[in-house]
Formats: sequence, C-alpha cells, structure tokens
Amino acid sequence: METLTFLAAGFQVALTPTNLALALFGCFAGTIIGSLPGLGPVNGVAILIPLAFSLRLDPTSALIMLSAVYYGAMYGGRISSIMLNIPGDEPAIMTTLDGYPMARKGKAAEALAISGVASFIGATFATVGLTLFAPLLAKAAIYFGPADYFALYVLAFATIGGISGANPIKTLLAACLGLMIGTVGLDPATGTARYTLGSFNLYDGFDPIVAIVGLFAISEVLILFEMHVAGSEPIKRLGRVIPRWSDLKPGFGASLRGSVVGFIAGILPGAGASLGAVMSYSVEKRISNKDDTFGKGDPRGVAAPEAGNNAASGGALIPMLTLGVPGSGTTAVMLAMLVSLNIQPGPLLFQNQPEIVWGLIASLYIANFVLLALNIPMIGIFTRILSLPQWSLMPFVVMVSFLGIYSISHSSFDLLVMVGFGLLGYLLRKLDVSLVPVVLGLLLGADMENNLRRALSISDGSFAILVQSPISIGLYIVTILLLATAAVMSLRDRKRRPAGSEVHTLEE
Amino acid sequence: MSDRIAGLLFLALSIWYGMTAGNYEAGFGDPLGPAAFPRILAVPAALLSLGLILRPDPDPTWSRGVILGRQVATIAVLIAYALLLDPLGFPIATFAAVLLLAKLIGTSWLKAGAAAIIMAPLLFVLFDVLLGLPLPLSPSI
Repeated sequence: METLTFLAAGFQVALTPTNLALALFGCFAGTIIGSLPGLGPVNGVAILIPLAFSLRLDPTSALIMLSAVYYGAMYGGRISSIMLNIPGDEPAIMTTLDGYPMARKGKAAEALAISGVASFIGATFATVGLTLFAPLLAKAAIYFGPADYFALYVLAFATIGGISGANPIKTLLAACLGLMIGTVGLDPATGTARYTLGSFNLYDGFDPIVAIVGLFAISEVLILFEMHVAGSEPIKRLGRVIPRWSDLKPGFGASLRGSVVGFIAGILPGAGASLGAVMSYSVEKRISNKDDTFGKGDPRGVAAPEAGNNAASGGALIPMLTLGVPGSGTTAVMLAMLVSLNIQPGPLLFQNQPEIVWGLIASLYIANFVLLALNIPMIGIFTRILSLPQWSLMPFVVMVSFLGIYSISHSSFDLLVMVGFGLLGYLLRKLDVSLVPVVLGLLLGADMENNLRRALSISDGSFAILVQSPISIGLYIVTILLLATAAVMSLRDRKRRPAGSEVHTLEE
Repeated sequence: MSDRIAGLLFLALSIWYGMTAGNYEAGFGDPLGPAAFPRILAVPAALLSLGLILRPDPDPTWSRGVILGRQVATIAVLIAYALLLDPLGFPIATFAAVLLLAKLIGTSWLKAGAAAIIMAPLLFVLFDVLLGLPLPLSPSI
C-alpha cells in the first residue's frame, strides 16, 4: 500500500505541465531516433543529454525526458526493421527476422501494429515490475557497505564480460580501458594529479558525457560510410493502420512470454535489451515453432522480441536506480547525466528524494500510453521520416552533438576530446569490442576506487575486509558462477560457429 | 592480426599505466593511496591483452580506397570545426562543416549547399535563441 501512496505522489510530479510536455516530446523524439537506421537509444539519449543541460532542467524533469526518449527509441527501433530490413538498433535485430518477411507479404501494417502492442505489453509489464521490485531492492541495498559495493562493481563488470560480448576477453578489456580512462584527473582523496600528462585541461578528468557522445554518436558517423543497403527494398505501402482484433490476437501469448523473459534479462547488470530480445525470440521459437513458420513472417516472431526488448529496457532501470549500477548502455548514459546533476542513484535516492524516483515511474506509465498512440494510429508519420536522405540527417546529428557538448563547457578542447573518443569508438566497434563496458568503467571507476579505499581505511589496510560480509561473499559467488557459465558457453560457441562471421554491433 | 596489434598496444598501455602509478604518493589516513587502484587494475589489463594476442578473432574488413578517404576527410572536418568554431563564428563554421559533411556522405554540391544553408540558421535559432546557449556569431579576428 505504501507503494500506491508513493505512486500517487509520483503522478502529481509527472502530471505537472512541464513534465508532461517533456514526456510527450521525449516519446516523439525517441520514436524518431529509434526508427532511424543506426541511431538507437544510447545515441538518442547521449545526444539529448546536452539539450537537458541547456534547457536547465531540474533532475526529475531531465530524467523524465530522457526515459521517455529511451522508451520511445525502444518502440521506434522496430519500424526500420520491419520496413527496411535494417534494424534501427541492436535490440531490434531480432525483429527483422519475422518482421520484414511479414512486410514483404503485404502485411507491413499488421506487423507494425502487432509489434507496437507487443512493445506496449512488454514496457508496461516492466514498469509494473519496476514499481514493485525497485523499492524492495532499495531497502535491501541500505545494508550494503563499501566492501559490498566493491563486490557489486566487480559483479557488474563480470556480467557484462560474460553475457553481452561476443568475445569475453574483449569485453573485459573494454571495461579495463574504461576504468583506466576514469582514473585520469585529480585523485579526489589526495589531490594527486594522475595521468594528466601535464595538461591542465585534464585535471578534471574526462567528462563522461563528452566521452559518451563521442563514442556513440561520432563513431556512428564513421560507421555510416561503410553501411551498404543491399538486398532489401523498402516497403512503400502501408495500408490500414488501425488493426483489427483478429490481427493482434496471435501475438498476445508471445508478448506475455517475451515480457517475462526480457524483464529478467534486463535486471541483470550489464545485459540489457539486446539480450532480452534474443532470449525472448529463441524461447518463443522453441515453444511455438511447430509448423516451421518462424523466420518466414510469423506474427509471434515479431511480438516476442519486441515485448522482450521493451521489458528488458524497463528492467534495466532497476539496478540503475536502486544500486547506481546500470544494467545497459542507455541506463549508463542516464546515470552519467544524473551524476552530472549531483544526483547519486542508489538506495538513499529512494529515501531522500522519492519524488525523483516516483515521478519517473509515473511518467513511464504515461509515456507508455502516449507511445501506444504514437506507434499505432500515427505510425505513418514515422515511416515517412525513414525516407529522409542520409546526407541531410548525418550532418544534423553531428552538429547537434557538437553544440550539445559546446553548451556544457564552451571549450574547443572538449570538442577535440569528443572527436578523439569518436575515433576510438569507431576502432573498437570495428574490432567487435563492445562500447558499453568502456562507458561503465569510465563512469563507475571513481566510485569503485572510493569504495575500495573506504573499505580499507575501515579495516586499516587489511584486504580481508573485502570478503568478510555475507553480502560481498554472496556477490563474489554469483560473479564466479556467471564467469564460469560464460566461459563454458563461449567454448561451445567457438566449436559451433566457424570463424569469419563478422557482426557490426550497434550498441543498444 | 588486427586483434594482435590491438593487444600489443593495450599491453604497452597497461605496463605504462602500472609503472606511472608508482610515482603517485600515498596521503595520510588513506592506507591505499592513489597508486594502488591503478596498479591493481594494470594486472588484469595486461593479462587480458596477452589473452587477446594469443587468441585473436578473425580480422574485420577494414575500409580502404574511397571510403577510407572519406572517413579521414570527415575526421579532418570535425577537428577543423572544433578548432575554428570560436575564431570563425558559428554561422560560417557551421555552413562550411555541413556543406562538406553532406558532400562527403555523397550528394551533389547543390543539395549539400541547400542542407547547409537551411541547417546553419536553424541550429543557431534552436540553440542560441530558443535554448539560450550563447554562440559566437561573427568571426573574431
């Protein structure tokens, strides 16, 4: 019941005109960004963070806008998957498998409607889950000491390395790289300048937001030159956009199953929406593919991954809000923004600033209904945006990134740093190294180090404190189990899949 | 091969990173000091780089020829924009940058010019007028 009281208070925050307008704008912008090939939620949120700064939004409103963009991009990702056979972002890859074949059969409108409803079911399921579980986890997290937090960070990095990456070595290396970049600057405890190479510009360290915009938005521009749109003709005709009940019916069971699977995948730190989509699709295929219709335009194959990736993106908010450890790339970016606004997510956030958390949760309920409306009756607007040519779109994205960063510091040094991170991001993506752990490392490095140092000053320098509490022991056991599972799985994968298959990953 | 080179570079970085950390001195009441965390971090980083050198993935297809040229040119445009935004002022710098970027993506000069002539004022109004971000208007010489 306590939850309902908080939620009611949250709706009061969410329904103020500013916040409502920001949620509407976020849903609209997010759907557009998600539907553009190559631009996903991470890029969308990264590009819009500077906008939140220059609008001087308070943390609650900024978080509401960015979460609406996040949810919107998850909805929008399916549009180019179905219409062009190009996933708008990584989680939407699974949607191309059955979505594009459906569109080829002249059922584009049905595919969009089914996936829209599936997205709604998944996202709503996850938002309800967030409402119920987040306060519980926040209560438990109060008991976490510095040593336990250190263990939690280790777990987060291990999960990313174990689950999300194609090659666990590369993912863990990426996390190390992020942590290294995070140590640049003045050491907060002693004031020692570390790795600044004598440059005063680096005394504050690298601003995570500059790094993120560079890694995702600028690297995307370089990747764009290599993308060839071959073998798939865009679907032009849409037909009737308001679906009949009989069109939607086959997707419901799949959506519900996909929601559950996706939500669980989303909660795991570091796993995120792509895993949610992949797992939901494969579970659904195992259950429903009796007549071998999957991959040929089966509506259930459209519904399951869409419900899965939307449920996962809601689930990923749980560890970010309650523990301060993001569950996906996009939530990592949102964490960066909150930290820049002097808000530290974690259990204390629920105690001290409940209006932020509950205002956000209430906005997500509202955003879901807005997105359902945008994505079914008004879908025509977004399918038309797909025909915008790249030569007008790409410069726009670049300029918005530059101006956004310029608005933070007015320094051309930061702009150069951003271009540098863009090049780094491009090279890492070419080498199939996931960018999410780099961002997580950069973001969490300082906290990880501080917790380690705090734990050791409590114990007066004895490392034994790291494994003395039951919480940290439990977390380390989970870490070892996850790493072991990942090692076994990657060995099996290596045997099954012959070398030479190259995948460009677009981060979710 | 690409992975091996990346691994070697990263190994060198980890060694340099760990060695440099040795110069940072500990403060009072802080048993760990500023050097310990980087040193601890350098160990798994170096081991993982060795792992990458020993077990590399197959090479990605690196771009070459025209595409590589366009990518290099794009980076040059971006760096130039970062350096010239203040000296040239926003309208001129942005017009030039959008024109060149649109051209590099592959369109005619006419369309690229149209994009630039629409986008530069649009962005100025959006950021300077609506969002209140002061942008340098005229060249400062």
